[in-house]
Amino acid sequence: MNQLKNKRKHFVLILFSVFMIYPVFWWLGASLKSIEEMKSPSLWPTEPIWDNYIQGWLFSPSEHTFAHFFSNTLLMELWNVAGGVITAAIVAYGFARLNFKLKGLWFSILLMTMMLPTQVTIVPQYILFNKLDLVNSYVPLILPHFFGGGAFFIFLLVQFIRGIPRDLDEAAKIDGASVYGIFLRIIFPLIKPSLVTVAIFTFIWSWDDFFAQVLYLTSVDKFTVGLALRMYIDQFEIQWGPMLAMAMVSIIPSAIIFFLAQKHFVEGIATTGIKG
Amino acid sequence: METDKNEKNTLPIKHKRSKNGMNNLAGYIFISPWLIGFLLLTLWPILQSFYLSFTDYSLLSDPEWSGLDNYKKIFTRDDDFTASLSVTFIFVLVSLPLKLIFSLLVALMLNQKLKGMNFYRTVIYFPSLIGGSIAVSLLWRNIFGVDGYVNEMLSWFGIQGIGWVSNPDTALGSLVLLNIWQFGSTMVIFLAGLKQIPSELYESASVDGAAKVRKFFHITLPMLSPVMFFNLILGIIGSFQMFTAALIITKGGPMHSTYMYALFLYEKAFKHFQMGYASALAWVLLVIVAIITALNFFVSRYWVFYESDGKGDR
Amino acid sequence: MKRKWSKSMGLLMLVILLTITACGSNNTNEGKTTNTPKPADNSSVSNNTVDNTKPVELSIMWWGPDTRHEATLKALEIYTNQHANITFKPEYLAWDAFWAKLPTLAASKSITDVLQMDAAYIQEYVGKGTLEDLSDIDLSGIVDSNVLENLKIDGKLYGIPLSQNAQGIAFNKTALEAAGVDLPQKDWTWDEYFEFGRTAKEKLPEGQYGISDTSDLWDWYLWYQTGNGGQPLMTDGGKTFTLDRDLFFEYHNTFAQLRQDKIVPPAEQQVALLENDPTSDPMGSGVVMTRGATTGSVNALESMLPGQIDVVNLPIGKAGGGWAQSTIFLSVSANSKNKEQAKEFLKWFITDAEAGKALALTRGIPINPKIYEALEPELTPQEKLGKKIYDVALDKALPFYPIAEGYSEWVDTYKATMQSVMFGKSSVEDAYEKLNNLGLEIAAKK
Repeated sequence: MNQLKNKRKHFVLILFSVFMIYPVFWWLGASLKSIEEMKSPSLWPTEPIWDNYIQGWLFSPSEHTFAHFFSNTLLMELWNVAGGVITAAIVAYGFARLNFKLKGLWFSILLMTMMLPTQVTIVPQYILFNKLDLVNSYVPLILPHFFGGGAFFIFLLVQFIRGIPRDLDEAAKIDGASVYGIFLRIIFPLIKPSLVTVAIFTFIWSWDDFFAQVLYLTSVDKFTVGLALRMYIDQFEIQWGPMLAMAMVSIIPSAIIFFLAQKHFVEGIATTGIKG
Repeated sequence: METDKNEKNTLPIKHKRSKNGMNNLAGYIFISPWLIGFLLLTLWPILQSFYLSFTDYSLLSDPEWSGLDNYKKIFTRDDDFTASLSVTFIFVLVSLPLKLIFSLLVALMLNQKLKGMNFYRTVIYFPSLIGGSIAVSLLWRNIFGVDGYVNEMLSWFGIQGIGWVSNPDTALGSLVLLNIWQFGSTMVIFLAGLKQIPSELYESASVDGAAKVRKFFHITLPMLSPVMFFNLILGIIGSFQMFTAALIITKGGPMHSTYMYALFLYEKAFKHFQMGYASALAWVLLVIVAIITALNFFVSRYWVFYESDGKGDR
Repeated sequence: MKRKWSKSMGLLMLVILLTITACGSNNTNEGKTTNTPKPADNSSVSNNTVDNTKPVELSIMWWGPDTRHEATLKALEIYTNQHANITFKPEYLAWDAFWAKLPTLAASKSITDVLQMDAAYIQEYVGKGTLEDLSDIDLSGIVDSNVLENLKIDGKLYGIPLSQNAQGIAFNKTALEAAGVDLPQKDWTWDEYFEFGRTAKEKLPEGQYGISDTSDLWDWYLWYQTGNGGQPLMTDGGKTFTLDRDLFFEYHNTFAQLRQDKIVPPAEQQVALLENDPTSDPMGSGVVMTRGATTGSVNALESMLPGQIDVVNLPIGKAGGGWAQSTIFLSVSANSKNKEQAKEFLKWFITDAEAGKALALTRGIPINPKIYEALEPELTPQEKLGKKIYDVALDKALPFYPIAEGYSEWVDTYKATMQSVMFGKSSVEDAYEKLNNLGLEIAAKK
């Protein structure tokens, strides 16, 4: 009986998965098509042009290949994730466990920063970084992550920390631990799963941040994968083949990370006690 | 959202703490990364954008004070403002509930012990990884185009499809669909919330003879309400700022039927060289979103159920 | 068990990450990078009054496809070889990214020393004082003085023209011949154009059209208005706005009729056609047999329909039609600290023979006739299509009318408004009122 039920569940899941992923199949097929074939709605080309992947990877207008752009982007991500995870944890602990003057005010401001569209703050920020001569570097892209990593993550971690019973805190206090000690020895270890969540979301979301990347990275050798991809679409010429190929490849790191970290991912937000 | 103001520490331990449990120094030290970042990198740009909203600023030359002109224009003379605001509202009102419901249903489906669940979850989450990829532009235009896959499928049922992306009546719908297709993050958060509901609750309900549906409405939903609230708030803030898809797929057309507010703002700033006006638009949006969020927080006490309410830490 | 497995996987990923980044070149830190070799210390080339021993780094920014990037980098190398004290800091982007970024650079007063400029935007940038006056560069014998006069804004030159460009119409010769449709002839009138549309539709297979519904393209209407003797939409730097009522109604009512008679693609389909996108280009996808094309854009079109294209000029009215003018330039930033060196480079760019060879046709037909002559023998017939558009458009050409400062909003509104008419959601009357009022409003502010 159970077997039949399971088979049914699998069937539904597979159907649904195919349905969800269909556009991606189309994408894969399209990345192998020639320009003329692009207009036909067929799923798979008559003659797959695997060369699109090679051409795309080689990226003609410079001596750099996509290997270089991947390494640029991955290195940036390493810093982003490290900065985001550590500082978000620290800030969240402050908001979640401690009481201090004006806490409510600062927390509201935190939330409000998420509500202002970035299109209007990006120019003053650029002027700032330009004055500091930090343009054409990754600093403007990485630095914000060292300042808490973004309101979303702080909010998320605040929720999680609030879900941890205070008994552990109290026990530690009785043993003479200071506020800092509690953070380091009790809270931080307990929120590890949530931190994995923050890491993954940070990785995935900063990968594609086009406007900031285009503003702050001027020389081609500093390009990220996203910027390199955009080079394939110009005023008159759109090289869909290599572009789709590389766009597909550029998703792979995020997909791998998601797959591997699944367990922590779900558990991370699970024990978040977003319930309050 | 208020953080716990009611923490009362009654243990007589040595901490730098004032009588009512305040821990000012430590508190500020901990939030200092954010605070410093905010003061250095974000505060000035925010204030600057507020100032610019009262100016005429082309970006190519210096700002010129224009007082309330921008705001006056927004509220009295700009058809594009009303158009894009209504497009955005419709988008939010339609896509957000659908996305939440859909995410919840899928989360329920993925919350089972089944072999290969990790694989299914990854596949279903995959579209959300694609996000702002420029490839989405081509993908969506083709799948929903006149000769696209969707119309082909519809023809199996004898329905004549139209150009979903290029028809002003349905273009926004195709963007709504895109938004829902990328429900991954919302779903994952629900999934986590589901995993956290203690199984004892379900067991004891079973013992009492409750049917599945009852369990869903009387256990699952209430226990999930905080998660739902979290997703709702973040969803509101996020969908009001939806931008990339409108930019790369429809460019706001046809006929401005997909002229999302963030896109409208962006074009004013960078294409029409009216950054001052765009800044005013940004602040109007902030006020609108803040009001909606505050209202939601207010209403939340009627439907959101916090397990730890007994301890009064809301 | 599982936990350990994913932990070690995580560790492995980390190791892989670090290895990859170690193998990639150093890239995290700030600092200017140059793509060209450091200069040797002695330079004896150069024959101007500029100090040519002081090392100067010129920042330069342009947009374009791959081929242009490669060619330009080569040209920069050649320049450094000839002028050892000048090195470059190049930045190259695609069209969209370029124009999205430039305003921010302007706001932070950090536009590159040299920048590529387009006729569509130059008025805006000149009007706000971001570009340097280049009138003192001597281009006699290189660029025709009439051409230069036409390019001047307020009597000053702000961009060095790089290529000859012209607007014409490309048509699918193969398909038209196969359907037995008479091919478009040089100097056809607007009436003949619409007639062609009708005849073609009759003879073409189902689902194909002779002409597009170009109601929502503001420049087509501009050409119609001026071709028929009307004023340009924006004159006098934008201080005057003229939307000729009769011509507007004539043009748009014609299209309304064409839509009704199904001579042009239905609005929904038309709007989905995107020029230059191989998957949905009007001509490339085989839906429409004609398309506007410029010297600059016709090559991309040709590669979508290899060997099937020919060109003709835009329909003319009593005053002429189309335009034949340079639309791509090199300009110098008003904030540049190396203006003299930049200007010298600009002149070299269009005169040096070696550079001309390296750059080839990546920016269109080189403006310098000598350079073009040198390239011509090796051009393929397809490459010569661009020149053909120029030749065929020249004698009846009207001036190129750029978007005046402050009118980009009007141009965008035109599109949305006319699409509304195309979809039958508003009338030509309403559209006229709206567009006319908006235009006058913008003009009044000047």
